[in-house]
Amino acid sequence: MRYQKKWRVTAALLAAALAASCVTGCSGGQENAETAGNTEAEGSKGTEGAGTAESGSSQSAETETRDSVVVVMGPTSEPEAGFDPAYGWGAGEHVHEPLIQSTLTVTTPDLKIGYDLAEDVQASEDGLTWQVKIRDDVRFTDGEPLTAEDVAFTYNTLKDTSSVNDFTMLKEAVAVDDTTVEFHMNRPYSIWPYTMAITGIVPEHAYGPDYGQKPIGSGRYILKQWDKGQQVIFEANPDYYGEAPRMKKVTVLFMEEDAAYAAALSGQVDLAYTSAAYSDQTMDGFSLFSCETVDNRGFNLPAVPAGETDENGVPIGNDFTSDVRVRRAINLAIDRQAMIDHVLNGHGTIAYSVCDKMPWYSKDSEAAFDPQEAERLLDEAGWKTGADGIREKDGKKAGFTMLYSAGDSVRQALSEDTANQLAAFGIHVTVEGVGWDTAYDRAQSEPLMWGWGAHTPMELYNIYHTRPGGKYAQYSPYSNGAVDAYMDEALACTDLEASYELWKKAQWDGGTGITQEGDLPWIWLVNIDHLYWVKDGLQVAEQKLHPHGHGWSIINNVDQWTWE
Amino acid sequence: MSGMKKRENGKRLGNRRLFSMGLFGASVLFLLLVAVFGYVWQDAASVTDFSRKNLPPCAGYLFGTDWMGRDMFVRTVAGLSMSIRLGLLTAAVSAVIAFLLGLSAAVLGRAVDGLVTLLIDLVMGIPHMLLLILISFACGKGFWGVTLGIALTHWASLARLIRGEVFQLRESPYIRIAGKLGKSRAYLAFHHMAPNLLPQFITGLILMFPHAILHEASITFLGFGLSPEEPAIGIILSESMKYLAMGKWWLALFPGLLLTAVVLMFHYAGQTICRMAAPGSVHE
Repeated sequence: MRYQKKWRVTAALLAAALAASCVTGCSGGQENAETAGNTEAEGSKGTEGAGTAESGSSQSAETETRDSVVVVMGPTSEPEAGFDPAYGWGAGEHVHEPLIQSTLTVTTPDLKIGYDLAEDVQASEDGLTWQVKIRDDVRFTDGEPLTAEDVAFTYNTLKDTSSVNDFTMLKEAVAVDDTTVEFHMNRPYSIWPYTMAITGIVPEHAYGPDYGQKPIGSGRYILKQWDKGQQVIFEANPDYYGEAPRMKKVTVLFMEEDAAYAAALSGQVDLAYTSAAYSDQTMDGFSLFSCETVDNRGFNLPAVPAGETDENGVPIGNDFTSDVRVRRAINLAIDRQAMIDHVLNGHGTIAYSVCDKMPWYSKDSEAAFDPQEAERLLDEAGWKTGADGIREKDGKKAGFTMLYSAGDSVRQALSEDTANQLAAFGIHVTVEGVGWDTAYDRAQSEPLMWGWGAHTPMELYNIYHTRPGGKYAQYSPYSNGAVDAYMDEALACTDLEASYELWKKAQWDGGTGITQEGDLPWIWLVNIDHLYWVKDGLQVAEQKLHPHGHGWSIINNVDQWTWE
Repeated sequence: MSGMKKRENGKRLGNRRLFSMGLFGASVLFLLLVAVFGYVWQDAASVTDFSRKNLPPCAGYLFGTDWMGRDMFVRTVAGLSMSIRLGLLTAAVSAVIAFLLGLSAAVLGRAVDGLVTLLIDLVMGIPHMLLLILISFACGKGFWGVTLGIALTHWASLARLIRGEVFQLRESPYIRIAGKLGKSRAYLAFHHMAPNLLPQFITGLILMFPHAILHEASITFLGFGLSPEEPAIGIILSESMKYLAMGKWWLALFPGLLLTAVVLMFHYAGQTICRMAAPGSVHE
């Protein structure tokens, strides 16, 4: 029986291994734990980040200049491919201002268009040519002047290489002279200025495969140091053409949520991201700073009956949610304020659409909590309450499976709360966590808890417009010719202001649309406030509505932050 | 004089046997209770109620509640119940694989032995957790991914042990005589060797439970196993890590203690069985 001892030793080792994984998990967390490598990497990021927080704060303590700031973001905010606009810096899923590079336009606090490099933007009558005049006094941080050639080079390069943004509408960018660039389009695209607002201009003479590691731009800040997995240090650009940045040095650390909390707790950082789960905590020397967002959460309701499959054999449609009365009832049955209180500890706003408070948002999307009407609609649709409290029709139970991305605790809680609230109306919702590898396909036939919200009306198009060449919209089966037509018209419009009205009409034109009275293929629940611990004395400049992604947006205007 | 010593010895032995039996009974009862109640509470474990979220342990909720107001006691027991059931299944499968492979290695000749030894070395050579993750990932994660992963990775050391025992048995006189009498290899294996291997097999089987349970916990902890809404001890522990910094200690402490208790109970039960099945081991 010699092996008995061996078994015991192995058991002890296993216990130790489990304990060790607990420790890694501490800093690693669960989010995005889709592969082992990922978790490991995040774990080490968290711990190393904590280490650098110390050195960062000791530096600032020594100099005591009060024109530097240490900001903590989540590990997923670190740009994997570097600070290259072609590979997601500033653009892509989580849009923000690229800081290092200048852009032609910017979005203003009310999400309309202002100018950065541009002095004048004109679209031709047919919408197929955009002419942009740029400033002539701008230099890259290596001393070379920024000309229209660089702008044209940037757009032509991104057209070919951008892994994150759609540039298919652009045929070619041409530098007419040093300060004039012309964009020749394949098709009219009225919201081109919103694309220009997230496209950082790179220097033609210094762009190459390693640009992302050593970016040169003309923006407010210079990338001074990047310790991968730990921190990024920015220094103010002394030759910046605009108002000189007041914050001379910006250090960004990447940490998991609990490490960020601990770093703030020990006073090592000046601003740390956090979530609603931490919002009931209090911290000496820090206060909770809440930013309103369009970072919304909502779920799709497949608007066609089950039975079809797409070209890859993915099943499409859902018999229960294909009835518009059911979708309307679900929209009215959800008490969104209760949901905000439950899940977000009150740190959120009610969402009625994917683009609340944007210039293109239609107020017709609003639909108040109305339990009686919800019940009435379900009765009218033929779903009668059965013996077990669950509605039935033709022997089928009312209900569906609600999917959420595994590891996202907020989406999980929102899904659970949706299930609880709908249970009161006799709709049985089962909640299931899935990975993104299967989520997109399964969302074609089952509701999925999504997160959206961007500073461009293109998002309406992506969600509601029939996929070009396809039968339904991309993410959830739905199609309405009238809605498509308004959006096409909005894109073809030459006047940006006028196009807002068309985007609104695409949502509701008085007769059809995607709102409560319309087809309602998506239900929107909440906009999640982005929360931060801010050290007393730090004045964070006024924030635009943050888009989806709890990351770089907060330092869009770090150049205007001050210390008291 | 010597008689008295003998009596004292006998008394001590009797107490020890009684103690062992008591411990065994208590362990089995405890595990059975956890398994049964957890099974019954499976649905209750997923119930969320936001009006009672983040409660510290109290009379109503012995282990407190989490951020979605789930009763952590019910959830922990349901998670451990699933662990136990999964452990039973995977340990049984592993042990059968180990028994058959170990036996065939020793009985079926040099070529098969070489193959089995190679297989054992292969499985034991790859870090256990890595192999587990690979297999369960390849099998589509979820419940069956975890089950297959654990079942297919735990047999190696027991197989090696049984192979060694069979090698020893093969040279023992009675087996050789039976062989000379013309009995077939299969007859020798199942009639003469298997009964001798039973104690090792049963002990190995029971001592495999804690392994299986801990590995199930680890793999779900790392996020490769079940969906996060399912009650599994690994998921409970990994979720609790996020809340430790906020001072919600009860989310990690009680489920962790209960997991340790379950593993220890299996260990004691296995040891007792080992002593009963092979009384000679008390002299070791």
